[in-house]
Amino acid sequence: MELIIGIILLLPALTTAGLGLGWLVGLRISERTIARLTGGCYSLTTGLVIVLGGWMASNRLDTVRLLIGSWFEVHTYRFPLLLQIDRLSLPLVALSVILVGVIGAFSQRYMHREGGYVRFFFLLNLFGTGVLLLFMAGSFDLMIAGWELVGLTSVLLIGFFQQRNEPVKSALRVFLVYRVCDIGLLTGVAMLHHYVGAATVDRVFTHPWPDGASLLTGIGATVVGLLFLLAAMGKSAQVPFSGWLPRAMEGPTPSSAIFYGALSVHAGAYLLLRSQPLIESSALVSVAVVVVGILTAIHGTMVGRTAVDAKTSIAYASMTQLGLIFAEIGSGLKWFALLHLSGHIVVRTLQFLRAPSTLHDHHRRYSASGGEPSTNGAHFELLLPVGLRIWLYRLALERGYHDTILERALVSPIIRVSAWLQYLENRIAIALFGPSEHPIYHQSQPGPSGYAGARPEEPAGRVRVDQPRAAAGNGVEGTDV
Amino acid sequence: MSEPLFFPWVSTSLFLLSVSTVVTTFQMTGIEKARRQITSVMATVFLLLIGAGIEVERSGAARLHEPLPGWGQWAVLDSLNGLPLPLYAGLALGMIILAPRRKVTAGWLAGIQILTLSSIVAYATNNLALFAIAWGASLIPFLGSRFFNRPGVVTIPRGAQLTLTASALLVILGAILLALGTESSQWSTRLSLGLPRHGQSVILSLAFLLLMLGVILRKGLFPAHGWVAPSFAQGPLIPLSLLFNGHLGAFLIARVAIPAFPEIASAALPALGDLGLLTAGYTAILAISERSPRRLLALLTISQSSFLVAGLESTNADAIAGALVHWQVVVVATSILTAVHTSLEARLTRPIDGQEFLGLGKGAPRLAVFFALGGLALVGLPLTLGYAAEDLLLHGTLETHPHLGIILPIVTALNAFHVMRLFTTTFLGQPVRAALTITDALPRERWVLTAAILFLIIGGLYPAVFVHLPARAAENLIHSVTRIGP
Repeated sequence: MELIIGIILLLPALTTAGLGLGWLVGLRISERTIARLTGGCYSLTTGLVIVLGGWMASNRLDTVRLLIGSWFEVHTYRFPLLLQIDRLSLPLVALSVILVGVIGAFSQRYMHREGGYVRFFFLLNLFGTGVLLLFMAGSFDLMIAGWELVGLTSVLLIGFFQQRNEPVKSALRVFLVYRVCDIGLLTGVAMLHHYVGAATVDRVFTHPWPDGASLLTGIGATVVGLLFLLAAMGKSAQVPFSGWLPRAMEGPTPSSAIFYGALSVHAGAYLLLRSQPLIESSALVSVAVVVVGILTAIHGTMVGRTAVDAKTSIAYASMTQLGLIFAEIGSGLKWFALLHLSGHIVVRTLQFLRAPSTLHDHHRRYSASGGEPSTNGAHFELLLPVGLRIWLYRLALERGYHDTILERALVSPIIRVSAWLQYLENRIAIALFGPSEHPIYHQSQPGPSGYAGARPEEPAGRVRVDQPRAAAGNGVEGTDV
Repeated sequence: MSEPLFFPWVSTSLFLLSVSTVVTTFQMTGIEKARRQITSVMATVFLLLIGAGIEVERSGAARLHEPLPGWGQWAVLDSLNGLPLPLYAGLALGMIILAPRRKVTAGWLAGIQILTLSSIVAYATNNLALFAIAWGASLIPFLGSRFFNRPGVVTIPRGAQLTLTASALLVILGAILLALGTESSQWSTRLSLGLPRHGQSVILSLAFLLLMLGVILRKGLFPAHGWVAPSFAQGPLIPLSLLFNGHLGAFLIARVAIPAFPEIASAALPALGDLGLLTAGYTAILAISERSPRRLLALLTISQSSFLVAGLESTNADAIAGALVHWQVVVVATSILTAVHTSLEARLTRPIDGQEFLGLGKGAPRLAVFFALGGLALVGLPLTLGYAAEDLLLHGTLETHPHLGIILPIVTALNAFHVMRLFTTTFLGQPVRAALTITDALPRERWVLTAAILFLIIGGLYPAVFVHLPARAAENLIHSVTRIGP
């Protein structure tokens, strides 16, 4: 029965590989075939998860593990290929396969005749593989693989509309935040090896989730816990790394739903839940998780009230709930956090998928209620002094100035140092070898986001002189390349 | 003691390559014909060296020598060079096939063959003098005007030529001092690579210093990194990539410095490792404000290659094996980036300057995918060989350098951003007019690049195959440092 775990992971992986190879060798796969492949894959996977869950329940099993072997071994170090399903991962795996399947079915029509249909489904399946690997990983080493696949597919789908510059810039920005925060996970796992000598879940914690205690305590637990928190903050858009979430809405709506409503954005919370015994063993980390969560919840709810489009509004609402989930994890409310997380995943997915139909929904509601629906809910902010309300409103409009602060305090100084070092190097090179051999390349200051693409847009209708060689008049296209 | 190989794989390869080089240099046939001939020779050499690698993998013996009476001991094959030999031959073969036709001249082909020949000699030889000569010979195509030069086009800047010449002189001088400073009545012992040295400590220390200076200059470690970026910016990208990806500097550390000077190495090499990490970090920071794709490629290559030195100097088996696996990844991945970039340059009439989004992915989606996969594998994308290399390197360096080791994940993160930046500016965004009519990967490009990508992905799915020999080499190196000796 343990083999089912492997099959659950293998099916999306094979679908991804099939789509990728098919495209590479030039196969023309119809939209219907792609959608059926994806639908079939996730229907089957959902069935397997139900069978596995039923088997676990009937046999009263906490955890099922599948040790495939060692990925590689060097001297005393080995990388175990260990998959596991336990009481934490089972609901998330079930939600993942169901929701990816639902998104696949939704996208069949939503993405119909959209350029990049194959690419979208390829990335969706790759994401499915990554997220299943993340949730089913029996070791933190393996979790990194799933974690990074989720991040990469997320970035590639944000830049899905690749012929416009803005989505590409947003994707690059999200990638930067992800990579910076991923340092926390990479280093944290290496530190686990250093302190515990292993990074498998069963070697780090005494008992299966949620009863286990951490074998790592003291300063080690604090260091690893803080590093994991950094990683979780990036992936789950917690303050001050929250600025990427609204930018991520550049992608197609189904990808926004599965990534930022459902699964990807909850990966950080999952990491903290998985390492909860470790967090519990360090008061500092517990407090930090709660503080980050509460600050994010306040930030999210404030900014969300000033958002002017549906997807951004939902994104900030999502951020608010994630902040609360973080606070619950920091407070030790494991089951409550898991329930909250699971419910939130489903609700947000639905909201994102309905976002393109907001006006239609509003009209139906309007007709059904016979007029403008009455406002509901208490607006506690009305209790605040007017001056403070205005100040908070401005703060919310500027999204807490987080991006500006990060840019001025961190990004700009690094770019300036880099540019200054470049300048210095060029001067030295010119002094040593003369100017003709070391022309100073046009190192114009990078844009505010620190990458080459951040330049003012060119005027429309630009004409470039660079033509393919064929067009330049050598007769046969591509013969000399 | 070493055992004989089943077949003189290396000697045969070198014979074929030598004949081919002479023919190319002095017999002016049509370029296309010459290219086809050399491709056949390179393919044969590649297969021969794969045969050698398989025999090394299967033998289980520490060292194997060529089965040539009297001359067999000139080459030694073991776990350290068992993989780099076929890898380099494959790289040279791939680059010859991938090179845009307008760049290929008789001189270019001869230069590539000299570079390949000398690199294979350096990897295989067990003779110090031969190693030093091969080190110098690999630089000849970049110093002369016969090979990669075309009218009005510089090979590499004068500063780079001076730096590389200095590295060759330092290594030759270091080799001479090493031979003279060793106490032995037999020249074969004095000139043998990899044996622990006993003798005049001052001369041996000086020899070690000169060799390491040679490594620093050639590998472009800080502060000698300055020659790489201008060379990549102005020079021939494919030959430079082949030169840099020989990693003879890292090989010298593993083959000569660590086994020959166990005491000096254990004291001095940590400083070199720190220098490697510093170089990786420094060049990653320099790359932040860099826009020229060629220079960015150079900085990425230096930064990622510097991890080799950081890993090799470590006394940790994980880190050394990680460095040796990373070697394979850097060689293949940076070659993919270089080849794709060169192909794109050949399709456009001016260099790609990185000043704006080009959107070339619209017309060349396959080249875009190859570039993205190669670049991401370079920075440790999961399910590629780069992930295994990064995992091993990270664990190893954090064990031996708890404070400096943190640089590695930070630099990897920065480099990943640089790769993505390079990819997005070249392939994504509003397409320029040329992007609409540009040719996608030609069949010859597609097959070679697919093979390279498959190497990285199969290596990621079954890394044990590619980690096994480096792991054995790592254990041998650690034994030689701790003087247990295989």
